[in-house]
Amino acid sequence: MIFNSLTFIVFFAVVLAMHNAPFSWHQKKINLMIASYLFYAAWNPPFVILLWVSTVVDWWAAQWMVRAKREHTRRVWMLISVVVNLGMLGYFKYGGFLMDNFVSVASSIGIVYQPPKWDIILPVGISFYTFATLSYTLDVYLRRSAPAGSFLNYALFVTFFPHLVAGPIMRPTELVPQFETPRRAHSNQIFFGLALLTLGMFQKVVLADGFLGPVVESVYDAHGSVPGMLDSWVATLAFAGQIFCDFAGYSTSAIGVALCLGFAMPDNFRFPYGAVGFSDFWRRWHITLSSWLRDYLYIPLGGNKHGPARTYAALMGTMLLGGLWHGANWTFVVWGGLHGLYLSVERWLKTRFKGFTPGRVTLLALAALTFVLVNVTWVFFRAKTFGGAALVLKGMSGLAVKPEPLIPAGPMIIALAIVGAIFGTHVAMRNTTLEAVLERTPALVLGSAWAVLLFAVIIEQGQGNAFIYFAF
Amino acid sequence: MPSSISPSKARRHEIHGTHEGALPPGLRKTASDRPGQAQPVPTRDIPAQPWAKMGIAVFLAVALMVSLWEYQARTAIGLRPGDIGDSPQAWAEARRAADHATVAIIGDSRILFDTDQQRFQALTGVRPVQVSHVGTNARMLLDGFADDPNFRGLLIVGLADTMYFGMPVMGLGQTAVDNYSKNGKPSQLSGLWLDRQLQRFLAFMDNEYRLSRMVNEVDTGWRKGVDSPYEDVWKISVTYPGRQYVMWDRIETDPYLRAHARHAWDGFKGKPIPPPLANAVIARSAEAIRRIRARGGDVIFVRPPSAPPIRVNEEQRIAKARGWDALLVGTRAAGIHADDLAQAQKLNLPEWSHLSGKCATVFTDAYVRRLVQLSPRLHLRADAPPPLTRADCVSL
Repeated sequence: MIFNSLTFIVFFAVVLAMHNAPFSWHQKKINLMIASYLFYAAWNPPFVILLWVSTVVDWWAAQWMVRAKREHTRRVWMLISVVVNLGMLGYFKYGGFLMDNFVSVASSIGIVYQPPKWDIILPVGISFYTFATLSYTLDVYLRRSAPAGSFLNYALFVTFFPHLVAGPIMRPTELVPQFETPRRAHSNQIFFGLALLTLGMFQKVVLADGFLGPVVESVYDAHGSVPGMLDSWVATLAFAGQIFCDFAGYSTSAIGVALCLGFAMPDNFRFPYGAVGFSDFWRRWHITLSSWLRDYLYIPLGGNKHGPARTYAALMGTMLLGGLWHGANWTFVVWGGLHGLYLSVERWLKTRFKGFTPGRVTLLALAALTFVLVNVTWVFFRAKTFGGAALVLKGMSGLAVKPEPLIPAGPMIIALAIVGAIFGTHVAMRNTTLEAVLERTPALVLGSAWAVLLFAVIIEQGQGNAFIYFAF
Repeated sequence: MPSSISPSKARRHEIHGTHEGALPPGLRKTASDRPGQAQPVPTRDIPAQPWAKMGIAVFLAVALMVSLWEYQARTAIGLRPGDIGDSPQAWAEARRAADHATVAIIGDSRILFDTDQQRFQALTGVRPVQVSHVGTNARMLLDGFADDPNFRGLLIVGLADTMYFGMPVMGLGQTAVDNYSKNGKPSQLSGLWLDRQLQRFLAFMDNEYRLSRMVNEVDTGWRKGVDSPYEDVWKISVTYPGRQYVMWDRIETDPYLRAHARHAWDGFKGKPIPPPLANAVIARSAEAIRRIRARGGDVIFVRPPSAPPIRVNEEQRIAKARGWDALLVGTRAAGIHADDLAQAQKLNLPEWSHLSGKCATVFTDAYVRRLVQLSPRLHLRADAPPPLTRADCVSL
């Protein structure tokens, strides 16, 4: 089930009514869990079993870890959790990719191998709930937190529908305590939650799907056509806007939905296109993933505590695996690798020019440079093949041979206006929060804007396309 | 700790926890600010605003705006409630129903528009399942039915010659066919059902008149050398239950929209289809039909009419003798060509490629009467209505 569907509106209305009905807190939690399983099963019922496996394995792994008397036993239970979780993720998400690469390597050394057809459907959200449950056992193993006191609270953390299929990737310590005491949203929270849901849907339905997506497709899916400089840049900028509006739209909606039920979820985006530098970008983009990778990959790989060489290696390793997390395709690995390279270069520059303090104009120029370089990486994220990426990069650099116009003027102007507005907003709001700005805005202006956004969502009538990140 | 809080203008409100220090005013910490530790319960601010009052005002304002928009859609644009539209999910629903149907229809938009299912049923007692898809190569759909072990009924294959013989890919129906097996998920079925219920009452819920489409269509070819939204097909049909397509009446009454639709077809121009390609298509069709017949099914081709300005180009690309006639001989299948139906001559094709709603009924009447002569699987009902003529295109 996706947020921008009529089914979700009905589902959410029922969940909200049940959550505010005079049931006991225990019963409400059971209701939420049943609703969450329905939310997931509405997509593909058999895959609910994977959720159960993930929940039960990690619950017991953490229980046995705590009861273990020897360090060796603790490690064994941690490894069981990691192997089961990553095993499921690997089988469903990377099985075909690994097989294709094996066949390529084998044929390059003269071994002809014809594998059976790999026809496995990727379970929606598996990347998200795998990371969520993994953080539970890893935190217990690292003695950062105690295991959950109640199986129901833990199982509800895994399945809680607002974050289940596309994040934010929540840690158990962020959500499990919220299930321990009764929660019911105040009317202000419910209406503010609905306002956030409207904002998220506007980003997704109107901006990402309605106006930006077709501009991106006209270049990135124009097979056999050669885009020129203008078209390549506009399509890539449009994709920067589309991916942000798609994913930040989902996160904002998820936060709003949870808020309506009385739960707090963490920020996943903090005006990322206003970032100055790439470490700043990754503190603002998909925060719950980047912090997960930092805590459970970068730091264990050595982080910045073992000298520059180890730091650079850890950075590159983290970003390459982070790229692969997004999809079983080498283009994602290159995307991650480019970000790793950017981060490494930035780190080196910071040590080289330690005392440098940029002024306002320099900051803006650096923000623009960061945005441009991030756009270069988006080419590898969006293009399905390296050939496709090369075509767009050639266009962006003005090296395209016999380019042809691909984007009509009207959609191009609108896309540039939207992306310009997104960039400007992010730069202007990089040191504040949405909530702080909303508080300063007169109620009449705020209400009018809310009404216009909601009206735009209704008359755009989302076609029910899944969010881009569902595929990851 | 209950999360309910009371509003106060003095301080921003948090749903849980307190703000942590070390950040500029207005910012709150996120996981990116707390490396290597278990993350605490997040802080969620509720800006000090009268959210409940504002929410109710927004609800009323949006209700008013949507009502005005609905009025505009009905009066100025000419949209109608009950036009439930089409979708890959709806196609998948029809495709599943076709598995055990007595009669199924495949093809492109011509047979889709030009078949009146109600008339078909009134004449034969059988309501065909409409599996055609706009902009789609019927040959590829035929292959799909040949591969389907369940289908044993009569398959009517509607074709536009240049698409059937000249298009190497499936076309616009590819997405629906690719997602056929995925389009039966509970959320999709419920979404389809809810969508239809709303569209029975709301006219503005039309895919062709959603916000982004309308805005983009303002561009009528501003940038030279690129296909603008003006080159695309705009709304030309109304869809009723059962994927019953009917030409939108504004195409008949609005010269601008009619001229645009004609422009979008570009006269069906193109290079002549080489004989080897046409022969390969016939051979492949024959094989598909053989497989359907081996299971007890049958296939009959139907060629709906096209207007002279388009027909001349179609003939240049693949003449009737080289395409249609050779197809019937090569596949040993029966066929009904619009040229051969006396009652279906000089019908009204407002945008040259599809019949007007009323003429579609006349054409259906004519081809079904011929169909019952060609196929023992169908019979004319004893209480069948009398035959229609061109004159009925006006009076129906």
